Amino acid sequence: MNVLKHNLLPRRSFLRGCGATLALPFLDVMQAKAEKGSTAPRRLAFFYTPNGVAQKAWNPTETGLNFALSPTLKPLEKMRKKISLHTNLDRIKVPGTDGHAQAGACYLSTARPDELSPAGYPLKRTIDQVIADVAGQSTAFRSLELSCNSYTDNRESVYFDNISWYGHGHVARSIKDPRQAFNRLFAVHEHQANASVLDLVLADAKDLQPKLGRLDQNKLGEYLESVRTVEQQIERITKRQDDIRDLDLEEPGKLWTTMQRDEYIQVMGDLMILALQTDLTRVSSMMVAPERWDTPLMFHGLFDKPIRHHGWTHNQNKEQVLSDLEKLDLFHIEQYARLVTKMDTIQEGEGTLLDNMMFVMGSGLSSGFHHTCNNLPTLIAGSGGGLFETNHHEKHPEGTPIANLWLSMAKGMGVKTNRIGDSTGVIKDWAV
Amino acid sequence: MKINHRIIFVLACLVEGSTAKESFDYHSVRAKQAVVADISGKQEGESLPLKGKSRVQGMRNFGPQWSGDSHLLWNGIVGEVMETSFQVSKTRRHRFTAVLTLAPDYGIFTVHLNGMVIREGVDLYARGVELAQPLDLGEFEFKAGPQQLSFTLTGGNPQARKFRGTGYLMGIDYLVVKNLEPKEETSEKPKLGAIVAEKAATLKEVQPLLAKYCYNCHGDKPKVKGKVNLKALAARSDFLKNVKVSRLGAEAVGYGEMPPEDEKQPSSDERKKIASFLYGVVDEYAKANTTMEPVVMRRFNRYEYNNAVRDLLQLRGDIYALPEKVVRGNKYFNPASGVLPNKVRVSNRTLGKNQVELQILKDVDPFAVDLQAEHGFNNQGEQLSTSTILLESLLKLGRSIVNSPQFDGYSGLWNSFFKEDGKPVKERLKPFLEQAFRGPVSEATLERYATYHDKEKGRTKSYTQAMKNVVAAVLSSPKFLYLVENKQDADERTQVNDYELAQRLALFLWSSIPDEELMNAARRGELRNNEAIDKQVRRMLLDRRSRALSENFARQWLRLDQLVTAVPDFDRFEEYYARIGCEQWKFGLQTMVEPLLLFESIQVEDRSIMLLIDSNYAYRSNELQAWYTNPKNPFGNKQNRNRFNTKIQDFSRRTLNRRREGGIITTAAILTMTSTPLRTSPIKRGAWVATVIFNDPPPPPPDVVPEIEEDDAAIAASGLTIRQRLKEHASNQSCASCHAKIDHLGFVLESYDPVGRWRDKYAGGLPVDASGKLFGEDEFKNIVEFKDAILARPEEFMRGFSEHLLSYALGRELKVTDKPAIDRITRKVMADHGRFSTVVVEIAKSLPFRNKTNQKER
Repeated sequence: MNVLKHNLLPRRSFLRGCGATLALPFLDVMQAKAEKGSTAPRRLAFFYTPNGVAQKAWNPTETGLNFALSPTLKPLEKMRKKISLHTNLDRIKVPGTDGHAQAGACYLSTARPDELSPAGYPLKRTIDQVIADVAGQSTAFRSLELSCNSYTDNRESVYFDNISWYGHGHVARSIKDPRQAFNRLFAVHEHQANASVLDLVLADAKDLQPKLGRLDQNKLGEYLESVRTVEQQIERITKRQDDIRDLDLEEPGKLWTTMQRDEYIQVMGDLMILALQTDLTRVSSMMVAPERWDTPLMFHGLFDKPIRHHGWTHNQNKEQVLSDLEKLDLFHIEQYARLVTKMDTIQEGEGTLLDNMMFVMGSGLSSGFHHTCNNLPTLIAGSGGGLFETNHHEKHPEGTPIANLWLSMAKGMGVKTNRIGDSTGVIKDWAV
Repeated sequence: MKINHRIIFVLACLVEGSTAKESFDYHSVRAKQAVVADISGKQEGESLPLKGKSRVQGMRNFGPQWSGDSHLLWNGIVGEVMETSFQVSKTRRHRFTAVLTLAPDYGIFTVHLNGMVIREGVDLYARGVELAQPLDLGEFEFKAGPQQLSFTLTGGNPQARKFRGTGYLMGIDYLVVKNLEPKEETSEKPKLGAIVAEKAATLKEVQPLLAKYCYNCHGDKPKVKGKVNLKALAARSDFLKNVKVSRLGAEAVGYGEMPPEDEKQPSSDERKKIASFLYGVVDEYAKANTTMEPVVMRRFNRYEYNNAVRDLLQLRGDIYALPEKVVRGNKYFNPASGVLPNKVRVSNRTLGKNQVELQILKDVDPFAVDLQAEHGFNNQGEQLSTSTILLESLLKLGRSIVNSPQFDGYSGLWNSFFKEDGKPVKERLKPFLEQAFRGPVSEATLERYATYHDKEKGRTKSYTQAMKNVVAAVLSSPKFLYLVENKQDADERTQVNDYELAQRLALFLWSSIPDEELMNAARRGELRNNEAIDKQVRRMLLDRRSRALSENFARQWLRLDQLVTAVPDFDRFEEYYARIGCEQWKFGLQTMVEPLLLFESIQVEDRSIMLLIDSNYAYRSNELQAWYTNPKNPFGNKQNRNRFNTKIQDFSRRTLNRRREGGIITTAAILTMTSTPLRTSPIKRGAWVATVIFNDPPPPPPDVVPEIEEDDAAIAASGLTIRQRLKEHASNQSCASCHAKIDHLGFVLESYDPVGRWRDKYAGGLPVDASGKLFGEDEFKNIVEFKDAILARPEEFMRGFSEHLLSYALGRELKVTDKPAIDRITRKVMADHGRFSTVVVEIAKSLPFRNKTNQKER
């Protein structure tokens, strides 16, 4: 599947760490594909922000088509025709484990309260992984997990730091270093170098199997699953090696630990877009920041001192704090809007990459003030190739599980199922 | 999760009667204990205040006879005076004896006591280095308090050789100040509550109490609080079925957390009755449910991976630099010497220079850090998964280690393993694989790796490169990466086999794989009895690799990571920052070292873990010392630039004169990381103490948590202290029971500002109120009384610490079924006054550590 045109551009050094100011030199890959008469595939990505949003500034007063954007959503004005907003989508919280940990770790699985993992979380294989099982069957990478967690302490547990899970106890670790992400996507020889030991370690794993207990079998299963995925990746990326060579990309120059927030988010976003655009993967998630993590963090140009996002959410009954919190939400929407805009500049056939995307921006809490899980902030950019209406605010009936949205997306992405987590049905008017 | 049986100590006290006990001096617990047990009033030379040229010298190299394996050493020229002092607790007549060191370059001294000459011509010369017979210096009427002791150097024995050609030395092993009117002393041996529970109360006795104090919220009304309906538990069997409710109830009532403050309170006796019944239920449950909680097979975290690879390949050092290794510098750590040197030259890797670490081996990068469990360590199998990305990292890592350009000279296995010498490959591979996989290796496995070597040799045309590729494969194998135990041969509770025990021990004590000696002991089947385990554990503790307990356990236990990102307000706490070049440094890089060096001194010198609560010494740099002693102006006139040293420097052992310093709770590191930028956070501090010190973490905060003001100046503006403000806050909420647990533990630390310096008053002038009650019972007025309250109930901390360490050793959370084991460990640790090695040895010998379960569905 040679979808990349040869020698399009000189050596590309767009990722030198200036992601904030330099745009991607977008490649016309999918157009090339469309010309050959095939349709561009649907793709799915998540942009997760932690700790909920300040509600008043988020929720628009109008619903339906061409609704008036709320103050926080203003940065999306230019892209409004390709955006839809969903309100009244809920997640169910279960007692016993931390609200923020659940918000992050269980956002994309929303298991029913009777499907708790042994550690007490309503956590199952997350929706991105369920979809990758189908949508990732031919791409080099079944999915791509990224994170912009730049905290240098290890304050919180794994549940606060990951939204993508293969299953309970088995986290789909995200990449935090843009260089590592870059090399994973494009350093073909590094994948190939992994090949020679796989048979050997697989044989060792098989030796172990009969000795293990039930829980250990699961752990070894994770290892085996990863070995198989690595094998698959080598095979598939080898098929794409000419394309990748022709892309002639240069790895990000700047050290991620020295990047400012916006720069970091944009560089990671660029990598995600590049992976989707070149069809190296069709499913990706990006955790913009981990849940809670009460460590002060610097947002250059936004606040002159490091701030505690989580602390603020519990203090938003004070005017000044609320206004700062709204400013932070706005910042996140701006970052999202920039990525959406970039996606829309990439031509694919008659439309753009964005048109074939479902790029979800959301949080596992609606408000951090009371750890509320009703009315989760949910935006979708793109329409998954015309699956639903955009420029639209869909106010769902109260108590609609967000799993209904996940179910609808899964169906749209080709998963044959009638239930995801605690879903009760698909979203009405979706062509799925 | 914590498992507790705290009430038993209360009961034990009750049995003994309410007379105040002599407090035990935990500083007397030292590595060498042969003579300590029968000498009262013994004061170690190395524990005496050090002045001038006095210092501590480790003596194990000279023989086993020195108490505490060390003595106080001084040198001077004729006419100079060595000065120190010792404490006497009661105004009584005492016999005063000194045990001194003799050596070829030691001098002749005149001894002064409180300004009087008490002995002349004490000649410390001997042909070799030896311990003198006790020198009886006579009987004295001492007044309680410090006694001045000095030795004037008057000359040297004609046969003695001069030290550095100019003077002579002297050494004090220990002093004995024996009370000659002992009838009023309680006992020569410290009195400890015998940990024997009084007969537990019966349900019949307890039910009326529950009805009186509990049913109101937990049963009578249709909406029961906390989903706990005690009224519905009519029979003992109901309590057994709801063992979690029983356990939590026992703790809440025993600790004075329930009933809530504004409800009717039971008397102390009633409280104990309820708790003893509930603990009885928990004990009965634990006895009947002998199936242990299974340990999920765990993968090495990156710290353990480093150590395992280092030891397997006999590398000269680490494979990569890790921020997890906080204290940089390892020469000083020599447990075999029995002493942590008085001066250690170290820096802080996490917060120090080269935060972005330089590579040790070129092109070798660590894999991503595994995060700590919420109330545990980062070694729990359930949370250590191997994702695709991680596997990719591991595969690459294995390759990059052996192919690093510096590798060849870095590995001690070069000649015997990597270099071709004509011997059959299998002969080399067999012992290597056995060590890598921590057990016997089947012929089939050996064959596979040998075949791989052949293939790689054919491909690369190099024996050595092929061997390296074999090693890269070994390092990626699940047999290397996981702590594998054969569960199929296990029943509900089966003793682990020798190899499995060896790897459990190595991972526990060294965060690594077993060495040859441990493997050989396993091969010979020698790890099946307590004596053998005892011997191995003690040997392993004397090995430098045991530093893993500080680097991996202590750091995580104390949650020291949180100091990395603590940011006291830049304007208000300007002195916390120094700008060097274009970088801003934080003083945390010095404070972080202090608690870890205290831990290491306790470990190396085998002292009592109670010193973690209250120690009369601390390791500090000069600047850190000034931080505490001269808080207003710690760095003199130095301004932002180069305000303090950020590089390697001396941390010296300093005798502390004020008990508000000492131990870990009151270190600037802990106090800073539990504060927010503009104020202290009694809640964070209290939760830290409850979690870390007593292993009694508060439940997660409820969803409705309005924060209080971020700046204490804003609180002060309303005329309140933080304490008063929090009181308002707590009474607004239905949070009273949690606050009852953590508030007092946090309020007592209000005497320290957000960067850990002492204060009597807040900046606005309001006085600090640090008073409170420990466990709702023991009143204290200030931090010293708080420390005393903890020392008076040593079981609480000993149990908490043992639970943390057991959880770390097992790689899982503890459950109710572990309670009998924890009870046993705590009892042993209590009997040995909290000696560090006893905690470790007893954990290694404990039932959960030596057994496995087959994880059947339950």
